[in-house]
Amino acid sequence: MSSTLKIEGLRVEVAGKEVLKDLSLTMHSGEVHAIMGPNGSGKSTLAHALTGHPGYRILDGSVTIDDVELLTMTPTERARHGLMLVLQQPFEIPGVRSFDLLVAAGADPATLRARMLDEARRIELAPELLDRFVNVDLSGGERKRAEMVQLGVLRPKFALLDEIDSGLDVDALDVVAQRLVAATTEWNCGVLAITHFRRLLLELTPTMIHVVSDGRVVATGGPELAVTLERDGYDIFRSTST
Amino acid sequence: MNAFAESASTFIAERPDAAARRRAWSIYESTGLPTTSDEVWRYAPLGDLGLERFEVPSAPATTPDSAFATQLSQRAGLVIRVVDGFCVSTGDLVEGVTVELDESSESLAGESLLDRYESDAFSMLNVALAPSATVIRVAAGVNVVEPVVVLNESTAGASFPRTQIVVERGASVTIVEYFEGGANALVVPVSEYRVEDNASLRLITYQRLDMSAWHIARTTGFIARDARLHQAVVGLGAHYDRSRNDAELLGAGASNELRTTFLGAGDQVHDFRTRQYHVAPRTTSTLLSKGAVADHSRSVYTGLIEIEKGAKRTDARQTNHNLLLSPTAHADSVPNLDIRESDVMCAHASSVGPLDELQRWYLESRGVSRDDAQRLLIQGFFYEMLSALPSELAELVESDVASVLASVAVVTS
Repeated sequence: MSSTLKIEGLRVEVAGKEVLKDLSLTMHSGEVHAIMGPNGSGKSTLAHALTGHPGYRILDGSVTIDDVELLTMTPTERARHGLMLVLQQPFEIPGVRSFDLLVAAGADPATLRARMLDEARRIELAPELLDRFVNVDLSGGERKRAEMVQLGVLRPKFALLDEIDSGLDVDALDVVAQRLVAATTEWNCGVLAITHFRRLLLELTPTMIHVVSDGRVVATGGPELAVTLERDGYDIFRSTST
Repeated sequence: MNAFAESASTFIAERPDAAARRRAWSIYESTGLPTTSDEVWRYAPLGDLGLERFEVPSAPATTPDSAFATQLSQRAGLVIRVVDGFCVSTGDLVEGVTVELDESSESLAGESLLDRYESDAFSMLNVALAPSATVIRVAAGVNVVEPVVVLNESTAGASFPRTQIVVERGASVTIVEYFEGGANALVVPVSEYRVEDNASLRLITYQRLDMSAWHIARTTGFIARDARLHQAVVGLGAHYDRSRNDAELLGAGASNELRTTFLGAGDQVHDFRTRQYHVAPRTTSTLLSKGAVADHSRSVYTGLIEIEKGAKRTDARQTNHNLLLSPTAHADSVPNLDIRESDVMCAHASSVGPLDELQRWYLESRGVSRDDAQRLLIQGFFYEMLSALPSELAELVESDVASVLASVAVVTS
């Protein structure tokens, strides 16, 4: 089944400052979209606001999956409607095992162990690390792989990736990207990747790139936009954002 | 009528060597119980204790093991049963381990218990009224593979279990001291652990007494050269739960890892005290104390790191985190340092607060409900403390902790 994620006129405030000023974009199941933009443009704010992070206040706008409004929902309900954020710096949760987290998130305990092992194999995460407390004593790269195990088990309709490429070596980046590409066909997952770097996009091959500057989408285009950005930087887009 | 004094007097008169008991009793009588004006007892509701109502049993009651105690026993290599302070079974023979009952009132520190604990009225009561010490000795060089479980069951009245564990040079063992029962009872355990050169003792004290019990416990570890004492103390039960855990790092390279944790519900009081006493050079202590208080319960954690002159290159760390699960619960944290040597590493940190909002959000953002997220986080608070458990016991104890946590209400303000 195909779904549509639609963000319209989103305005978000963080610590008293309006960071997203009027952000809109639409994407569908199975597509890969990238959001690129300079530091402070509002990229990470988008990811956190969509998933209901407590530090972000929605001022206006709408976010829907298949016309169902998410912004009035709790973070739990948003996740259960198919939205999952893969974090740049996933939290350590001492004393909580991934298995218990995933059961509480709705995974079937009867098959969960096998699925986690399968996902760990695909993402090249040592299986014994699955038994550690969530993200505790894991390296930065292992944490991102562990997030991908959760993604593979939870199978969200739309995956938001918040700069998962930062701090990942090239091999790890390739494995993560390949898993995401597979997800777009396996369960028709829509992938919205927030990134600074083109490297991730070489593997992910997005159909659409959205350039964000000063809290707005200032340009949308095909993969060629990433090439332009790498060559010319973000400055040419900034002038359009006033 | 003072049931306590009368039954204590009868008990002492009937014991074979009553001299030390009489001396301990007279010390208790001359000093009396502490009061809350005494700094180290200021959080204890001792005015409500009513010591005179507790009768000292002359023999152990007959009581069946709980389902949990039975399961714990099934996973142990050696089970020692202590009922109302009386050792009723020293268990099957395990190679390299001896279990003996000792009425001599000697401390493992090489002096009498009287001299050692003279200033502590409850310890004096234990010296006077413990039927005997259960002495567990692991012979030099022996690695005891399966855990040893000491089941302490209390029925009624006042009981005074005493346990002494000696792990000889180069030996290693895991021991669980478990406490249950104790409805409307007073339980005053005294435990000592001597870990000799290069030996290792892994110890878990799991206190699951009835919520009406008074539990006033004291443990002391004596750690020799390159020896290791890893101790976890979990307090879930009792109306008033006092747990004082000391470690003396006496030999160079000795190390002590202590994890203490408690859960408060109803109007419980958990009163945890620790003292890490570094005497020898290159000694290490790592102390992690975590507690959670719900309803109207309260807790106090008081920790002292004491470093003697000459204990060079000591590394001592103390961390205390307290979780407030209701606006009417209260936690105090009192870290203290007393350092008489300059060439040391020493750190302490403490915090008191509600559940971490961002950790909760992280779980919720995966589709976990708020209630489940809170339950997982609180459970995790304790599971982290239980990570010292050997795998054959971990699942059992974790599920027991989870069953207790399931009944605790979380009120976020």
